[in-house]
Parts: sequence; C-alpha cells; structure tokens
Amino acid sequence: MYGHTGRCLRVNLSRNDYQIETLPQELMEQYLGGRGLGVKVLFDEIDPRLDPLSEDNKLIFASGPLVGTGAVTGASCNVVTKSALSQTIASAKLRGHFGAELKFAGFDMIIVEGKAERPVILSIADDKIAIQPSLEYWGRTTSETEAMFRAALADKWAGRETYLVSIGPAGENLAAVANVVTDGFLAVGGAGIGAVMGSKNLKAIAVKGNRSVLVADTSRFVQVITTIINKLNSAPLTSQSMSVWGSAFLVRLCYEKGAVPFKNFQTTSFEGLRHVGTEALASAFPLRSRGCFSCPIACIKKSDVQDSRFKGKGMAPTYLAIGALGLNCGITDLTTVGMANIICAEMGLDPIAAGGAVATVMELAEKGLVSKEALKIDMRFGETDHLVTALTLMATKKGHVRRIGRGAKALAEEFGAPELFMGVKGISMAPFDPRALQGMGLHFATSNCGPHHLYAYTFIDELLNVHEPVDPATTEGKPALVKTYQDTTAVTDSLGLCNWPLMGLKFKNFVPMVNSCLGTRLAADDLLLIGERIWNLERLFNQTAGLGVSDDILPGRFIDEPLPAGPAQGQVAGIKEMLPEYYRLRGWDESGTPPRDRLQALGIEDSTNGQDQD
Amino acid sequence: MARIKIDHSRCTGCRHCEIACSLNHVAGTANPRRARIRVFKEGSTYFPTIAGPFVDAACTSKIDVVLGDQTYNMCLVCRASCPEKPFFIEAETGFPLKCDFCGIPPSPSCVRWCNSGALELIED
Repeated sequence: MYGHTGRCLRVNLSRNDYQIETLPQELMEQYLGGRGLGVKVLFDEIDPRLDPLSEDNKLIFASGPLVGTGAVTGASCNVVTKSALSQTIASAKLRGHFGAELKFAGFDMIIVEGKAERPVILSIADDKIAIQPSLEYWGRTTSETEAMFRAALADKWAGRETYLVSIGPAGENLAAVANVVTDGFLAVGGAGIGAVMGSKNLKAIAVKGNRSVLVADTSRFVQVITTIINKLNSAPLTSQSMSVWGSAFLVRLCYEKGAVPFKNFQTTSFEGLRHVGTEALASAFPLRSRGCFSCPIACIKKSDVQDSRFKGKGMAPTYLAIGALGLNCGITDLTTVGMANIICAEMGLDPIAAGGAVATVMELAEKGLVSKEALKIDMRFGETDHLVTALTLMATKKGHVRRIGRGAKALAEEFGAPELFMGVKGISMAPFDPRALQGMGLHFATSNCGPHHLYAYTFIDELLNVHEPVDPATTEGKPALVKTYQDTTAVTDSLGLCNWPLMGLKFKNFVPMVNSCLGTRLAADDLLLIGERIWNLERLFNQTAGLGVSDDILPGRFIDEPLPAGPAQGQVAGIKEMLPEYYRLRGWDESGTPPRDRLQALGIEDSTNGQDQD
Repeated sequence: MARIKIDHSRCTGCRHCEIACSLNHVAGTANPRRARIRVFKEGSTYFPTIAGPFVDAACTSKIDVVLGDQTYNMCLVCRASCPEKPFFIEAETGFPLKCDFCGIPPSPSCVRWCNSGALELIED
C-alpha cells in the first residue's frame, strides 16, 4: 500500500486500553483518507444526535495519504468529531509536523473513544503506546505542556523528534470555543474540538516514529514535485505575498473590496488601515518564516511579543487573527492582536469563535443590552485591554467560561438579541463580509462545518482573480464556483494537502502528484467526485443531527442591512437567490436534502434509516 | 569543487530536504530517519545538518558553541554519526549514514527541493 500506512490506532480511554486495526482498502479508495476517512468513520460509528461532550462521542485524528511522503504541503492532520459549539460535524486542520510524525509512527488515524477517569496523555512511539496519567500537566498552557513532556522523556534526544497536539485551559474547562494546538499553531476551523478533547480528560497526544511511508513511483513523484515547487516559485502570490507576509497580505486587498468586517460586521469601512497593513506588521514584529512539513511556501510567521503587558513567543497575526481578534473587535493595534493571538494559542482558544464572542458582547454593550455587572467584565469596541482580559478569563475562570466561553450565539440569545450573533450553525463567521463576497456568503451559509473559508477558498477567484476574473459583487455563477471549491477542498483535506498552493496552482496540477505517490490512475474529475461524496456524507451527518434548510442561512444583518459605506456600499448578500441554484447543482431537493438516488449515485449507503430505528 | 552552503537564518524548518534525501537513497521510501540531512531546532533557529563521518566512540569533551547571542550544545550541530546521539543512524539496521553528495551537480536532491534559500550549491 502506498501513501497510506493502512493502520489505525483505536484508543478507549474508559477501558484504558487500545488496539491496532487494519483499514480496509476500499474505504481508502472511496474516501482517500484524512478528512474523508474521518467523516466516514464518525458517521458509521456514532449517533449524530448524541451530546458532543458525552463519553460516546469520538475524536478522530486522521492524516491523509500524501502526508509525510514529501508531497508539496503534505502535512495536514484532520481532527474530526461532533463539535461542542455547533452540534454539526467538525473537521479541523492541524498544521505543523504532527500529521507527518503520525504517519512515521505507522498510523493513518487515531480514534479516541470514551473518557479517562483522570487526566491522561496518550504517548505513541512506534508501537510503544502508553496512556499516561498527567495530572501535573492539567492547567498548563499548550507550550508548557509540550516543553514539560519533552523534558520528561528518558532519552534526551527523543524530545527533538516528538510532536504533540494538546489542549490548553480552555479545553480543560470545556469552553465551547476551545481548540487544539500543536507547536503553537491552532488547528484551523477547530472551534468546538478542544472541549471534546477536554471532556475525554485527554490533555495531549504525543507521537514519534521511525517507520517509512512508501511512494509508488519515486522518479515520477520527485519530478512532479520539482515542477510544482518551480510553479509555486513563479506565481507571485505564493512566492512573494504568502512567503513574505503570510495571509496578512490579504488585509489590504480585502479592505479594498470592502470585505473586512469591522465592529462585529457592522461595516467594512474604517480608519486606520495603515495600522494593520503589511508595513505595520513588519514594524510591529520581527517575522521569521516557519514551514509546515514539506511546505515550500512557509506562510507561517513566528514572532516574539515584547510588551509591558505580555511577553511571549508564537505566531505573528494572520489575516484571520487580524480580522477576528482585531478589526471585528474594533481594534487596529497589531501588537494587541499579536498578543491576543498568542494568548489564544497558549490557552487553546479558537480565534474566530473567541473573537466572535468578544465582538458580540462588545456590540451588546454598545447597544446597552448588557451591563458590566451582568458579565462581570467590561467590554467595549476598540479597548485593547478588554480583549486581552476577556480571552484569558474565558479560558481560565470557571464563571467566565460558563458565560463567554459558550460562544457568541449563546451570549446573543441570553441577552435578548439573537440577531447580533454573526455566524451560521452556532459558529462565528470567519472575517469575510458576505455582502462584499457573494460566493463566500453562499459558502458560509451552506458549509457543513460552519462558516469558515477553510472549506472553500472562493476568495482565490473572487478576490485575487487567480484562475479567472470573477466579480465579487455578482451572484451569477457563484453556486457553481462554491460547489467546485467545496468539493476541491474536501479532496485536498482528505489527501492531507494545504489549500494555499491553489493561489499558484490549478487543482489539476496536484493530480500527477497524487497518482505517482499512490500508484493510482485517477483523473481530476474522479477526485472531485470523491470530494462530493465526502461533502454529501457530512451533510447527511448534520441532517441526522437535526439540522435542516433553516440552518443554511446567513444572519439577518447581511440580508436586510446594506453595507453602510466603503467600496461595497449598498450591497446585501444575495443568498436567497443563490441557494436554490446551489441545491440544484448538488442534486438535492428544495429542502436541501440529498435524495436517495443521488446518494446511491455517489456510492453512499443510506445508513440513516438504520439509525432512525434504534 | 562544488559545495553545499547552509544559511540557517533562512531555514523554515519544513524538512523537505530530509524527505528529498530519503527518497533519493532508498527508492519509494519517505523517512526522515533514513535521511543524511536533518533539521534540528534550537531556540528559535533551525539548523540543517548534513551527515558527516561515522565515529565509533562519542567525544570525551563536551563543547558549547556561541553563535550570535545564543549558546548551543556542539553535539546538536555536530555532523558525526556517533553513539552519543540517535541521528544519522538507521533505526532498523543500526547502519551509520553519511552524505554522499548524491545529486551530481547541478544539484543534490536536498538542495533542489529547498525553497527557502537555506541550502545552496556553490562552486569555489
């Protein structure tokens, strides 16, 4: 078997034991691996209606077949579970080196079941698997956890080859907005996963391995990768913008199209762009490029924050952090955003969900709907100290975890203004305004794992016009664009690749890399069909969990309130006219349900009937 | 003669060189532990280290190296395949590994895949 290791580690924390299973070949042909395989296993093994924090929920870490092979950007490990924040399926992307190390330890996938009685760390070193008590780690930040674990290893060199994924205090305290962290990188799209890991009393997973990952046709594979590296080098966005600034370069571009939200999506026009642009970023932080495993782009920028209020090392702000933790909270100070971003990584908070909760409270306060006494914390737009304090408190102090840590939706509802929750399916939106980017709006409304651009990079065309010039303001052709990007992303996630190279490559450029690595003869359309199968299976999971057509909707603000100013002034989200066309393209009925014959055509057995009966 | 120049200030720690080396030496096998180049992290710097000669005994003297404002353990950046540390020794066979400058110029495999500019082939 090439690419895949073909083995899966199933750990039952309730019984304190584990077993190593062989993965069936046909599953990998149908679902590739990574996200696809994780979704399939979760769908088959749990009842989608269960309580995400119950013992029966399962937490899956799955590396795609191209991870660790040297395939360009083959580094992702997908974390699949039922989200504690949204009640939908969650599929986050862990970057860095954890996914590749999991493959070198000889596993495609870890399935964590049950709940440990006391805090534990799962340690994997090839076939030496241990579930270790870890009471002394409980309450530690993620970087402390990693350092402590490495220092405690008997072999003083082993720590250098050991990679961990852990939760911070936020996950331990079951904050719904918690996420998981590896090496200072938060999983992308991981809101609601940290609490699931915390509910299992699993503080961290550590892996180290000596095994090999096999490649089918080495000479072709090496040749294809060399071509891809050269292609990425000749594309300005991947070789210049991303390599130098990381995704932070998007701030100016999005601003110019009126797509950066300000003050809880109230507007996209604001003063002070120069304080958050790339020049400001370079002067605020010394930037050092860091690459995930086998990534030639190296978009991650690491930095130090040296401020009287906070000192620490971590990721310099990305577009996501600047948008969600900065501008959307009315803050245009990059030092604060950098600090907030590092606090999120240390505490294990998802920046979008945590930032969304803070922004919602700030708007509630602005409108006089919540008092300082009610939340025991003061929060006003633009107040940097309020943001920093709120992030620390919502992860560590039980009372605040129970209030702010539940996320924006619960807060908006509690204070009688559900319309101020800017999100879909219970998850706060990634910082793109759907009124300015119509395709992104449709994707946010229909995404299975919540409104995150991670699951469809439509802005590559809508905003950057990489492959074709697409007008962001029009709704025409957007349903097809969104469907293609959603399916493409399901494939790249399942293979274990990153989506950023799509700024310099076409999806079809990946195909020879996949075939030479796995020894397959797949065409781009075959892969996209697999992507569509995965998307439909996720949809089926959500529908069984109780979600329906009424959940494919954007907050009223985007439909009823035209943008008050800026380049996209006067625009609203045309979601209602795009949705029927989107359903039609997917082959779903008008209630957004995939009909039985459509599922059969995609090779999905309709096992929901069986689940309904029990 | 061609040489490989290493600029550790540019290394991003992506370890693509390790896999390039591994695939080039054992066909069809991606495994950093079989690579003759490894990237070690110390503080906030990555050190691409190319395997040097095999020695059968560890040094009796321990040396600290000061580079810039940081002090490093010499063992870490040492290129020897030695009993002191588990690197540059194949895990399964115990076989010592040494860089054989595989890719005949224009480029060894590690240099060809290094996109950060940390590894460079120079003539002197």
